[in-house]
Amino acid sequence: MTEKKLTIALAGNANVGKSVIFNQLTGLHQHIGNWPGKTVEKAEGTLHFKGYTIDIIDLPGIYSLSTFSIEELVSREYIAVERPDLVVNIVDASVLERNLFFTLQLMELGTPMVMALNQIDMAEKKGIRIDHEKLQKILGIPVVPTVAIKGKGVYELLERSVEIIEKGRINPPVAKYGEEVEKRIKEITKLIEKIPFKYPARWAAIKILEGDEQVEKEIREISPEILSTMKRLAKEIEGIHGHSCSTVITSERYEAAGRIAREVQQIVPKVRPPMSETLHTITTHKILGYPVMVLVILSIFQSIFTFGDYTSELLSNLLYGWEPLSEGLLGTGIVKDIVWGGIAEGIIAGVTIALPYIAPFYLILYLLEDSGYLSRIAFLMDTLMHKIGLHGKAFIPLMLGYGCNVPACLGCRIMETERERLLAGFVTTLIPCAARTVIILGLVGAFLGFQWALALYVIDLLIIFLLGRLAFKALPGEPTALIMEMHDYRVPHLKTVGKQAWFRLEEFIKISFPLIIVGSLAIKLIEVVNLLDPIANVLSPVTVSWLGLPAITGITLIFGVLRKELTLIMLATLLGTTDFAQVLTPSQMIVFALVAMLYIPCIATIAALVKEFGSKKALFITVFEIIFAILVGGIASRILSFLRIF
Amino acid sequence: MKLPLTALKDGESGIITSVEANPGRGGGRGWGFQKRLMDMGLTPGTKITVAKSAPFRGPIEVHVRGSRLALGRGMAERIFVEMTK
Repeated sequence: MTEKKLTIALAGNANVGKSVIFNQLTGLHQHIGNWPGKTVEKAEGTLHFKGYTIDIIDLPGIYSLSTFSIEELVSREYIAVERPDLVVNIVDASVLERNLFFTLQLMELGTPMVMALNQIDMAEKKGIRIDHEKLQKILGIPVVPTVAIKGKGVYELLERSVEIIEKGRINPPVAKYGEEVEKRIKEITKLIEKIPFKYPARWAAIKILEGDEQVEKEIREISPEILSTMKRLAKEIEGIHGHSCSTVITSERYEAAGRIAREVQQIVPKVRPPMSETLHTITTHKILGYPVMVLVILSIFQSIFTFGDYTSELLSNLLYGWEPLSEGLLGTGIVKDIVWGGIAEGIIAGVTIALPYIAPFYLILYLLEDSGYLSRIAFLMDTLMHKIGLHGKAFIPLMLGYGCNVPACLGCRIMETERERLLAGFVTTLIPCAARTVIILGLVGAFLGFQWALALYVIDLLIIFLLGRLAFKALPGEPTALIMEMHDYRVPHLKTVGKQAWFRLEEFIKISFPLIIVGSLAIKLIEVVNLLDPIANVLSPVTVSWLGLPAITGITLIFGVLRKELTLIMLATLLGTTDFAQVLTPSQMIVFALVAMLYIPCIATIAALVKEFGSKKALFITVFEIIFAILVGGIASRILSFLRIF
Repeated sequence: MKLPLTALKDGESGIITSVEANPGRGGGRGWGFQKRLMDMGLTPGTKITVAKSAPFRGPIEVHVRGSRLALGRGMAERIFVEMTK
């Protein structure tokens, strides 16, 4: 007998423990991808339960079903049009009112629903008690109390879900609006029912009254007359209430949520504030907050690089140990050169980045996110980020950029709109990643002194600020201000965090490895057919005449596209010495480091840009940064010789 | 007395009277901006408490409907409240 298939979607606010429930339900049978055509993550998993094969879709964490963010659009499109068999609404018991606001919207979509009243333990710690049976009665849907991180209630949640699907019950819409609003919702619903429309009629009617641009557009395409009738009805409501219709609807919905919340919850304030409150006070403190943040970030980078450098070398030695074996198999001719020097070294380059640096990086990032600290960092850094037209959340990908630009680029997804993602993505590629730090410290820092290395960082920050501002002015659209919930600090669920980090690592490997290998192979081929010197000569107008560098640096800069620190390693190989002071003048060192720092990070970052923003924008950013780096390098070279500092 | 939210000191509360989407200084997001605030629970008639403000004209932390939000200053300036004691 083949099993019957069911689809269940998980929906809820951000940080309510949705991914933990998703993990508890699906275990290892997960697949993380993107929603078609969108850079929004789609997590899917399957499980078998009572003769059913159940597909679980983890929708993004959102607060409403408006058109504000791509996540909201994706979620509502999925529930309204693709219609899962059931929606499990996951609710944070300690912030019941806000969560119920979303619940009421979900119910308007008319899909069968079950509620998971999650984190009841944390709510109780805050002195909040919820009568879930009463809540269930008011809403008319099953309410299952859960403590997801301990797995409590998850089985029952599943049981009730299947029960509801089998019964085939549709929930009655509970969010009754005021009489004058309700009357007009009904009128519009009737109008919509007459036309072939993909959305549920009552939901679409409410959205029209909320002034929803997308639903309006779709109705206009079918029947402009109906839309103008609807607009008239909306105006009538505005006349009655003296607020915009969208405000009226949202207010009434929140009123309903508040009413329900007050009816079912009892709040007994605790005499002593819980630990999480004290932590919050310290980490967002006007003065203390900043040193704490700097300390946290520095110690993270310090420990990742210490761990990374050690393991990277270990791995590298281990993997290079296989070289004699390849010689044994392929001889020492061209074939071995290409297979080993091209393909194998490409893989080694990838592995020695991914495992030692990227994996711990992601792990710590998700630990910080899940615990709640990232939102506090965003709070502290908001003012600074506004200078380049972004809000506080953008600091997170920027910070990541100092480690590696690839996760930083992918991390720009936390921004709400496409415009901000692009802006943040562009800025992150200018952040000197670990590999570029190697060049700056290994060349300028080691031979000219630390103050010159520091100067380069300062120049880079100025450039980021300048270009960020320019891009901010040039991009159409308007900046979004920060509105962010700061949920209570909590102990992260290690398994969920581990899985998230693992999926990210997998993504990193998928994006960067093919290109690193192909790139490495291409460069090896160029070397084998003796094209290095001709290329260096072709580039010499730029490298020698404009930048004032030795011709050989042209080659190293090309290699740097694979991995930035290769520029330095190659330079040593080609010049035959690691004492760069013998072969480069101080100003040449600075120009070289400057160019290496600014021109497009590396091939893996380009791949990440393509994935996030499409090949056109990626190409534009790449070409722009190459030209820009050369420009800045040339100008620096002239300024340095004019000033005669060295 | 109608005041912008930013006029409240740390610890003070008010009832939201209106959210001005476009106070004529540019940079407003019109519908989207207002809708976003509403969706986060900042509807007229709601009690809002300022917990603290970040330095350098940074965002403010507010408590509203039992949850804690960070609001960018530009946004907070356009939320008007009636002071309560």
